This record gives sequence, structure tokens and C-alpha cells, in this order.
Amino acid sequence: MAKKVYQKTNVEIEAKLKAEKTVEQQVAWMESFVDMLERTKDMDKSFRELEALKLMYPFLCRSIMDKDMLACRVDYLPVGFGCVTSVGGVGYYCHYRNLNLLRESTDDPDLIERLNKIEDYYTGNTIVERFDQKYGKPYIDGSDNGSTLGVIRLSGMMLDYNKFCANGVKGMKEELARRIEEEPDNNFLKASYEAMDLFTAVCDHYIDMIDGMLPTATEKRKYELVRIQDSLKRIRVDKPVHFIDALHCIWIYAYLAGCINYGRLDDVVGDFLVNDLESGFLTREEAHDLVRSLWVLIENKRTTVNGRLIVGGRGRKNPKAADEFARICLDVCKEMRQVEPQFTLRLYEDTPKDIWDKAMECLADGATFPTLYNDEVHVPGLAHCMRVSEKEAEQYAMFGCGEMNLQGMTVGTPNGGHNLVKALNIFMNDGVDPYDNVYRAGDFKLKKLEEYETYEQFWNDFSEFIKWQTDCIVSSQANCYKMLNEEMSFLFVSCMMQDCIARGKAVLDGGIKYLGGCNETYGNINCSDSLYALKKLVFDEKKYTLREVNNALLADFKGYEKMQQDMKDCEKYGNDIDSVDTIANDLFELVAKANYEAGPRFGLHHYGIVIINNQGNTTWGMKTGASPDGRNAGVFLNPSNNPQGGADKSGPTAMLNSLAKFDAHFQVGQVQNIKFQKNFFKENLEKIGMLFKTYFKKGGCQLMVTVIDHHALEEAMVHPEKYQNLIVRVSGFSAVFVNLDKSVQQELLSRTMYDRV
Amino acid sequence: MADVVKGSVMEMERFAIHDGPGIRTTVFIQGCPLRCPWCANPESQQIKPQLMYNVKKCLKCGTCARNCPQHAITIVGDHLEFDRSKCIGCKTCERNCPGKAINFIGDIKTVDEVIDYISRDKDYYDVSGGGITVSGGEPFVQFDFFYNILQRAKELGISTAVETTGDTDWEKMKKAEPLIDKFLFDMKQSTPEKIKEITGGNGWRIQENLRKLAEIAAEKIVIRVPVIPGYNYEEEVLTAIIEMAASLNIPEVNLLPYHNLGENKYEQLGRDYALKGTKMMSKADLKHYEALGDKLGLKVQAGG
Repeated sequence: MAKKVYQKTNVEIEAKLKAEKTVEQQVAWMESFVDMLERTKDMDKSFRELEALKLMYPFLCRSIMDKDMLACRVDYLPVGFGCVTSVGGVGYYCHYRNLNLLRESTDDPDLIERLNKIEDYYTGNTIVERFDQKYGKPYIDGSDNGSTLGVIRLSGMMLDYNKFCANGVKGMKEELARRIEEEPDNNFLKASYEAMDLFTAVCDHYIDMIDGMLPTATEKRKYELVRIQDSLKRIRVDKPVHFIDALHCIWIYAYLAGCINYGRLDDVVGDFLVNDLESGFLTREEAHDLVRSLWVLIENKRTTVNGRLIVGGRGRKNPKAADEFARICLDVCKEMRQVEPQFTLRLYEDTPKDIWDKAMECLADGATFPTLYNDEVHVPGLAHCMRVSEKEAEQYAMFGCGEMNLQGMTVGTPNGGHNLVKALNIFMNDGVDPYDNVYRAGDFKLKKLEEYETYEQFWNDFSEFIKWQTDCIVSSQANCYKMLNEEMSFLFVSCMMQDCIARGKAVLDGGIKYLGGCNETYGNINCSDSLYALKKLVFDEKKYTLREVNNALLADFKGYEKMQQDMKDCEKYGNDIDSVDTIANDLFELVAKANYEAGPRFGLHHYGIVIINNQGNTTWGMKTGASPDGRNAGVFLNPSNNPQGGADKSGPTAMLNSLAKFDAHFQVGQVQNIKFQKNFFKENLEKIGMLFKTYFKKGGCQLMVTVIDHHALEEAMVHPEKYQNLIVRVSGFSAVFVNLDKSVQQELLSRTMYDRV
Repeated sequence: MADVVKGSVMEMERFAIHDGPGIRTTVFIQGCPLRCPWCANPESQQIKPQLMYNVKKCLKCGTCARNCPQHAITIVGDHLEFDRSKCIGCKTCERNCPGKAINFIGDIKTVDEVIDYISRDKDYYDVSGGGITVSGGEPFVQFDFFYNILQRAKELGISTAVETTGDTDWEKMKKAEPLIDKFLFDMKQSTPEKIKEITGGNGWRIQENLRKLAEIAAEKIVIRVPVIPGYNYEEEVLTAIIEMAASLNIPEVNLLPYHNLGENKYEQLGRDYALKGTKMMSKADLKHYEALGDKLGLKVQAGG
């Protein structure tokens, strides 16, 4: 067996709940899964997937927990079938780290041996490994050297839950049956038809489970359990009638599809909620209980950078009813103080005042939620970047850290990553990455630094290099879809995405209405501040040569302290200074347009950049050499398109003005962090609210607000035990501060906190 | 070409939210006829660059002393000493200080530069009902500069406020009044004699200006009283000021509790702080005056 490092495969801040089944049961099941894979090797991909799903459900379902008001929890085991890395992996995955943890949890030599066999079966054969073997190159690499990333996954699918709630299993089967009549040999349709029965099987599993729970339950719990059971009985075949039914439909279906972002739920459940409240089927307090339970269930999945639940905005069928759901969510958000769901409010011209006020109160309390999105910018911006109508763009739903999809219409998985600081390092250093001395410029022809006489020449060639890197990334994304499609249909995803059933094709087989994707860019501002410093110090003032600068970077400024100080003294982005903000915008447009234009050339309907970063700006920064903005090697990169921590010294209006300069027509998501001291925020709630509103009016697209006490972060680093509830916004997800890595904590600490006397 | 109007500016602060309504930018202009012992902006009193020295950041490397063309800097023990009478404000020391321990406050700026800067936040003013506040120092000291800023701001549709000691020629105040939407008018004592005694200002002129201004624009005035223990934190003084406001039909009085945030600036300027050891006050200390306002029919607010 090859020696492996059992690394975390994604941002995983909190460990998942311990699996309910014994190690022995888990191993036995995984063996049967492996047997199935062997047995079905030559089977049609849709039917093979159906076999996998049948093994998984309802077997992996775990018990209803004491306070659950909704049924269905699932333990994902180290091997299985899925879409995303946060719950296992894509395709027929093996999560080596979790497998190893399981192995370390037992002393039984027999179990260890059996686990070794399972691991051997997968090693080298998972789609992730095969993708890397086939397409990985020093300059486009899934193994995360912090340069240009090309990974394989199907993240952030935003299903059309309205469709499922309008049809139920029965309606879906009827639609599929009609299509099968038209195309009797279509395996995708036939397997999908059978897959729908698994939804019923999961319902039945819990209906039986509740029968077993009732005899020992208290009277109060009995009432709750019966309510769950009645709901499951209603939806096992038919479409939902009540609010609880609709929640169950979404929740169970999302599990079957392997989805961990939920999207615009207010649009799906609003009518059910209002009908129940009006008919007296449900009291407001009971509705609160259900939403609270949903909050807990989402949190317990522990998907960290996911769990998106969105309310508000244009394009909802019944905004009034949807807003009722939004109000309950805001109450629950304020009360629960959890890091998931990533609760999001879309703002538009008709956002009710009380909803805005409640949102500000949640933020003032330090919830970090809701994150705020501005429809006025996003709808036209995404319509352009995704090449769709504004009507369609109204259905935007960000997932994960803020990448955009259109609910039920697009694939937009972020399978590319681009470190712009490293790009500049490689460009200046003859193609060699100063971090690890690996040549990463492929066949791109680089000039000697001495040949550059003007900034324009330097910029033009750097632009070409960026475009070349971008092509590598986009081509990798196209290859990823090809490879996924060869082996998987993603049946449950496909059935709830336009126009898979109509076309009789799986999502990546030509079924999806708009096949897109996105590329996460890192270090945008370090790179643009660096370009500004080069322009000023090298080309305008001629204080240093490019070669001298590169030598200083290679030495991490040792012996070049004066130069580093000069670089640090250069104006920085984030202070509303046009000269430096212009360069930031030049870089933004260069990268954004390169991606936007590359998509169709590689057969994608659309492609765009996202400037989000989860915590990658820190982890990639640790793998990135020194940069001409005066940043030392190994230091975190700036978060998304915010200034480097502490570089914004002119107050929040100046910082937000700098942010609002980017043109949202060429991106599919960017996030902005802003941090306030708690008393200051609370005492000036109204004026800070107006600050945000002005920013949105000026074209600001998004805000993520952290409100914390003075010195709370510093003290939490020393006394973590006292700060178990301190929630912070990282860069596209929220976390309990003390659970983050020290390096990430330091990056958060470096950010400017707004606080005036 | 007309003369370019310039002035000495101590600082321009964006997102100022305690100097008038809404979101504002406050322009602090240098020069003040008063010398209030508690002054929180001592670097604004004189119209010239003020050398601030932060001993905590000083590396004691001596770069400044070696490069000062006036030989005004010497290292004494663990800190620097400046002969401020020799300093010509050339800023050589500031430019060369590796620890950034030396900082000159006070830049000559043109009206255009000020206007360009404040215009950047116009959208915030418009949404929030804010604008600019010209503060000091005493804005009327550099009158041409001040007046031009007001004029230009008004042309751009930006709302204006001034924070003034009131110690200026009435003619200037009268001339500027139409361009000012809000007067934050400081009143530091109840009688002219005491104003003179404590602040050195012309208490008679200050109170006369307040009366005259109230006759033509009482609704624009907010009286601000920095409440300072040992100087005016007395029941009868504050009551008298509130009553004066009421008698002049001035709609609002703000009582600003003493804070010591200016203290370390004195150290950096090489000056003594007269209120050393005085305890900070809180809004709660002054809350009961709000009832007096209700009785007299005006708004009294603890805090600004």
C-alpha cells in the first residue's frame, strides 16, 4: 500500500457526530459496498449508481434524537457515494482520513485487517486520484500547492425543491414514466424512476422507527413523534400538504442527492407555513420549534463552509408568505447562535423594514448572520456573467462561501483555484515558484525582467501569463465534468435540475440547462498592491530595478529591509485612493474577463471568478513567497477582495468605497468582511445601517459582518475556554473562533476593527 | 487665475457619527483663540505643523538627530528631546524615522483638496441625512479657507455643520450663517468672566454672538457643553447654561461627559496635561439634566 498522509480534505472545523453504528457494522457495510462496486463494474452507470444508493438508504439513516422535530439524520461512512467533499467525496469515494480514524479507533486486528483491505481496494482508484494522475501537472494541481488548483467535485448543487414539493414521489414517477414511454431504452430515466422509491423507503424507515419509540415516550414527546410520523405518512408517496411536510421533503431529498446547501427555502415553504398558521394546523410557536429543529439538523451535519439557507429577494412566487418564514428564521438565528446554517438575507427594493431591523439586531448580537446580499447588483451582474436573462438570474442562490448558482438551473461548482500572488512570483522568477523551487510556467514563454522598460510592458506580459494560467484552470474544469460524467449520473440531483428529465440526460451528460463553473481567486489585493508598488518604486520613481525586487523577494527581504519598508509605505487598497484602487480594478477585470471569456472556449456555458477564500487565503498564504507589497513569505494573503489586514486606515466609508469599485458583471460571487466593536455597533445601529445601505446603493454586492468585543480575539487566543461561544466570520463561513487554527486566528485578528469614540 | 485658497488642516475624519446628524466627514482646522485646559485636540491650537513624538515607538536609533538640519533633536537617556523653538517643520525627521515615532500633524491643503476628499462620501451623507462638519481649533480663525469650503460644499448639495467656540467677529459669523445648516456652539461656562478666566477666550463676545445668532437662526443651534470636573461640573453652572439656551429659543443642548482621550497627545507634544488624574465621566452622570430640558421645553441630551 502506498504511504498516505491522512489529510483533511476540506475545511472541517468541527468534527462530525460519531457514527451511530458499531465499527463492526460499519466495516461489514463498507465491505458490502466494495462487493457491490466489484459486481457492478460493467453495469450501466445509472443503474450502478442506483445499486449504491439502495445500499446506502435507508441503511445509513441514524436515529431520531431526543429534541428532533423532524426526521432524518444520516451517517456518512468513510466509503460511499456522493457529490461533495464535505460529506465524504465525489462519486464512489473513499475518505482516507476518516477511514484511518476509524481504524485507529479499534484494537481488533481482524477489523483493522478488513479496513486495510477496503483501503487497498480504493487506493489509486478513486476518481480524485485518477483525475490527478490523468490531468495533474506542476502548474495545475489538485494536491494543493497553493498555486493553481484543479479539483474534481460537484459542489453546491441548488435543487429545485419547488418542483419536488409540487409533485412528491408520485408526481415525479408519473413524469418519469411518461418520459420512459417516449424513450424506453433510456437508462437514466429508468434508474431515476426506481430511485424515487428510496425516498419512500427512508420515510417508511422512520415511520417504523417511531412505532418503536412511542411506547416509552412521554406524552409530550409522543405528540411530537406522531406529528413527525403523520407527516412522513403523508409524503412517503404524495406531495406535501403542511409546513412540516415541505421541510421533510427538502430535508430528506437533500440527503438522498448528497446536497448540503439548501438555497431559497422561503420560496418553497412560505405558502405551506402561512396556510398552516391561518388554518390553525400550526401555532407560531410550533412553527418556531420546527425551524429551530431544522437549524440543529443543519448544524449537526457539520459542513462548515456550506449549509446555505437563503431568504428574501426578487423572483419569489409569494413574497408575503416567504417573508413570514424569513421572520421566523431571523428569530431563530438570533436565539440559536450557530455557525450553520449559513443564513443569508437577499435585500431588494421590497425588503420589509422589520426584516432589515431584525437582521441588524442579529448582527449586533454577534451572530455573524444573516450575511447580506444585494439583488440590485447581483441580478443584472449574474445575468451578464452567466449569460442568462435577468428573470432567470433572480433565482440566484449562493452556496458554500458565496459561489453562485441559479436554483434548479446551473452547475457552478468551484473546481478551480488561482493564487494571484504566486502568479506574480512565478512570472517574476523565470517560471520558478520561490516557495518550493518548482517550475510552474509550462510552455509559457517568459521574458527576462531586464527587458521591461515600462509598467505597461510588464503589465501586458503579466496579463498574458494570467490568461495562460486561467486556460489551464478552465480546461481542468471541463475535463473534470467529462470524467465525472463517464462514471456517474447523480440521479437525485439530475431529477431536480432543469432540463435533465425533459432531455432524458443526466446533469453532466447534457442534461443541465446551463453548465457553468467557477474559479476561486486568492490574494487579489496583495497582488494589486504589489503591482502598484512595482509601478511606483520601479517604473515611476526608479528607486529599484525589477531584478533587485525579485532578489529581495527571494531573500524574504533579509538584507532588504529598507526596500520592504518602502513597499509597505506605498498607498494600499482599501482607503478609497484612486491610484491604487484603479490597479486593483485593472487586475480584477483582467482576471474576471479572462475567466468569463475562457468558459465557452472549453465547452462551458459560463465560467466566472469567485473571490471568496474560505480560509484558503491563510493556508495558501503559508505556501506563498514574499510579495512586492512588502508582505513576508508565508504570511496569510488578504481575505477575498478585502484589504490586507490593517491596511485600511481611513474608516469604513473609504473601505466600502474601494470595495464598491469592482464591476459585478464579470464575477459569480465575491464576499466582503467588515468587523465592528460591539458597543460601537449597538450604540450606532441606525447610522451603521445607513452605512450599509449606502454601500449597497453604490454598487456594493455583499457584506459579512462580524461584531465582537474589544480584545475578545486576543483574549480568546489566551483563554479559549472562556470563549466557546465567540463566533466570527472567516471568509465565506462562520466558525467558533477558538476552534480555528492559530494561523487563521491571526489573520482574523489582523483585520481592521471599526470602533470610534 | 484666482488665488488658490489654502488652509492648515489638522485632520479629516470620515464616518464621523458624533458631530451632527447622519454620517459625516469632520474637517479639523488648525488655530484656536481659546486654551481650554482639557482640550482634547491640543495639536489643533496653533496654525503650524505640530511635531508629535511617540516614545513607545521610538527605537532610539538617532537617525532623526543626525539628519535634523536645525540640530533641534538630542537623545537624552531613553528618549528624544526636541527644541521646538528651533523646529521649522521641514519633516526630515518624520520621513527618516524607521519606527514611525515622529509624526507631524497639520498639512496645508487647498480648498479643492478638502472638497475632493469630503465629496467621496457624498452618497453616505445623502442616505443618512449627514454632511460635513468643520471643527477645530476654531474654524472661524482661518475664515477665507473655512468660508470657501462651506461655499463649495453647498454648491455640491452637501449639508454643513460647524463646531465653534463662538469667539470670532460677529460679521464673519453673520456672513457664514446662510451657508451653515447646523451650529454646534460650545458654551464652557455660564458667565463671560468665567469663560475668560478658564479658557482665555473673550466670554463677552462669545455670549453676544450666541444671542445674535439665536435671533436670526435659533433653530440651527445646538449648544455643546464639555462637562469638566473642576471647571464647570456644577449644578448651577449647567443649569444656567440650559436656562440661557431656553431663553434664546435654542432647541437643543448636549452635555458631553469629560474624557481623557487627549491626554497622550500632550505627552507627544511635550506638554503638560492640566487634568492629569481626573476621572472620566459617563453619560449617566448627566442623565438627570434631561428632565430639566423637558421642563424648559428643549432637548437636553447627555452625550453628543
